[in-house]
Amino acid sequence: MIIPAIDIMGGACVRLTQGDFAAKKAYSTDACSYARQFEQQGAPMLHLVDLDGARSGKPINQESIFAIRKAVNIPIQVGGGIRTLEAACAYLDAGINRIILGTAVVQNIALLKKLLERFGSDRIIVSLDAKDNKLMLSGWQQTSLRDIYDAARSFQAIGVATVVVTDITRDGMLGQPNFEIMDTISQLGLNVIASGGVSDVGSILKLKARGIGAAIVGKAFYENKMTLKEALMAAQSNLAKRIIPCLDVKDGRVVKGVNFEGLQDAGDPVELAQRYSAEGADELVFLDIGATCEGRSTLIEMVQRAAQKIDIPFTVGGGIRCVQDMQNILAAGADKVSLNSAAVLRPALITEGAQLYGSQCIVVAIDARRVKNGYCVSINGGSEKKNLDVVAWAREAEQRGAGEILLTSIDRDGTKTGFDIELLKAVCEAVNIPVIASGGAGAVQDIADALVAGKADAALAASLFHFSTTTIPLVKEFLLSRNIPVRI
Amino acid sequence: MIAIIDYGASNLLSLCYALEKIGQPCKIVRTPDELADASRVILPGVGAASSAMAALNASGFSKVIPRLTIPFLGICLGLQLLAEASDEGNVKCLGILRGTAKKYPVSMKVPQIGWNKVFLGKPSPLIDGIENGSYFYFVNSFYLQSDAAYTTSETEYGVAFSATVQYKNFFATQFHPEKSGKDGLTLLRNFCEKC
Repeated sequence: MIIPAIDIMGGACVRLTQGDFAAKKAYSTDACSYARQFEQQGAPMLHLVDLDGARSGKPINQESIFAIRKAVNIPIQVGGGIRTLEAACAYLDAGINRIILGTAVVQNIALLKKLLERFGSDRIIVSLDAKDNKLMLSGWQQTSLRDIYDAARSFQAIGVATVVVTDITRDGMLGQPNFEIMDTISQLGLNVIASGGVSDVGSILKLKARGIGAAIVGKAFYENKMTLKEALMAAQSNLAKRIIPCLDVKDGRVVKGVNFEGLQDAGDPVELAQRYSAEGADELVFLDIGATCEGRSTLIEMVQRAAQKIDIPFTVGGGIRCVQDMQNILAAGADKVSLNSAAVLRPALITEGAQLYGSQCIVVAIDARRVKNGYCVSINGGSEKKNLDVVAWAREAEQRGAGEILLTSIDRDGTKTGFDIELLKAVCEAVNIPVIASGGAGAVQDIADALVAGKADAALAASLFHFSTTTIPLVKEFLLSRNIPVRI
Repeated sequence: MIAIIDYGASNLLSLCYALEKIGQPCKIVRTPDELADASRVILPGVGAASSAMAALNASGFSKVIPRLTIPFLGICLGLQLLAEASDEGNVKCLGILRGTAKKYPVSMKVPQIGWNKVFLGKPSPLIDGIENGSYFYFVNSFYLQSDAAYTTSETEYGVAFSATVQYKNFFATQFHPEKSGKDGLTLLRNFCEKC
């Protein structure tokens, strides 16, 4: 569960760095608008902190918190300045789903016991704020001498079930959370909500791999380091990132060139397809690269042979110009068709295909070339540059019904210098359909970069596999070691 | 003989090839009459629920399917069509399973495309020999919620949804067994031999 945080100071939404009240950054005076935005984006819960309250020891921003309660329908947890039974009841009786107690409970165990008895351990959460493994108090202004693990054990002994664990040295630093603290406390049997430094998909995957299911994310959302959507995608599904070998086919043979030129023979397409499928490829792409230049249709016979031999999905592209072309390829046993030049020249083709066969069948391939202020679309095997912005085209393709984008950097294609991460990121953040990264894979690290930094859903590679630079099992093993979910 | 119902836009070929791989003869049927000599029925599915239901209504299958007593397997959309209704085009479906097919929450990329983990629940002959947490290939925008009455395994994508179901002689998978490698073939073999 990813819980977006809204820290409130003087009624406004702010973020601090390492809990330093002087190092605050204000984002908006309208905390409600953030709350609504998070709800619309699918947040399962909100984490509200009354920062003035945490510092002064009594609730200060109740009004803003109740306004947020009215504005959204999702559950809300509140912390900051809750140190008396009255303050706790004021929130819990007014529709706040759970409250977070920090300093108050360390100094007043009787109060904690009373609250647990009255509201249950689902609604009463204890915050463990650590600095150098010591418990911090009073809005992180005071260091205590109490060991954090010792404190966790004693709270558990009186019935606490869930704790928010924050290493305050990591908070607001946009780095990594302190996995060791989270792990150790989780192993005690407490439900850990990780907080402080959860700022990228990598840390969410890492927490998930350790069985820590909930995290509070603040600054990373406000600073656009990660979107709520990306965080939720990583946290709420086990969908694997896909590794897709690409077979460029010309005259019935697999070929591979550099920047779409200087082609070398790389084998029989169906034979290679079977080998990749057996090695653990998640999908395959056949691109008839002769088709566009020379006006030939993709080899239907090859598609039929492939469909008989392999039992994973495959996409066929190259030279698909009309609905009849799509029909021929899908009827021969392909799962998806990939449209490129023809879709650029006549975008309605995407809509026609999506309406007839469903969006899941329609992949729009975009060949991108870097220009002065971004990227422009190229067609006809990269030979013709169009005055069309790649991000704008990707968005249009999605609106017209594309189910996936296959994004190739022509500048990187076949160079083995790594994917164009900037290009990937720009497109992945602009659309809400899966994006397959293509062009430039030269090493396993490149693939990890495309999937994490580039935010792609799948990575496509050709020469990397054709010339046995590496193998699919090695790629997957590497990705798994980086906590990137892959099918093994 | 396994009958595969053809109601338009589906990729039936990969399903036929998959059955061929496990040595099961099949035929494609377009009218309910052709089910007479079938021992098992598969309703595959790609495309939208509304157009699929329109085709099943027109051909008469929508009346025949709920009365079938031979083993039935719905695949992907074929699972959702077993529900009472689908939010995809607000269409009434076959009504064999309670519930309505819904769209994935806004927090997720839609369609879901790719390999996701399937977690086993109630035992069912369809998922015999499948290991807990195995990956299967999904392509879908809508899902049927997990329901103790029929869900035999579930998968997480923003919500926990039915990955496989069984209700009497009606079996279904939200994923594509014909595209899910070895485990997919195991499942198809189970349907042909154990269901």
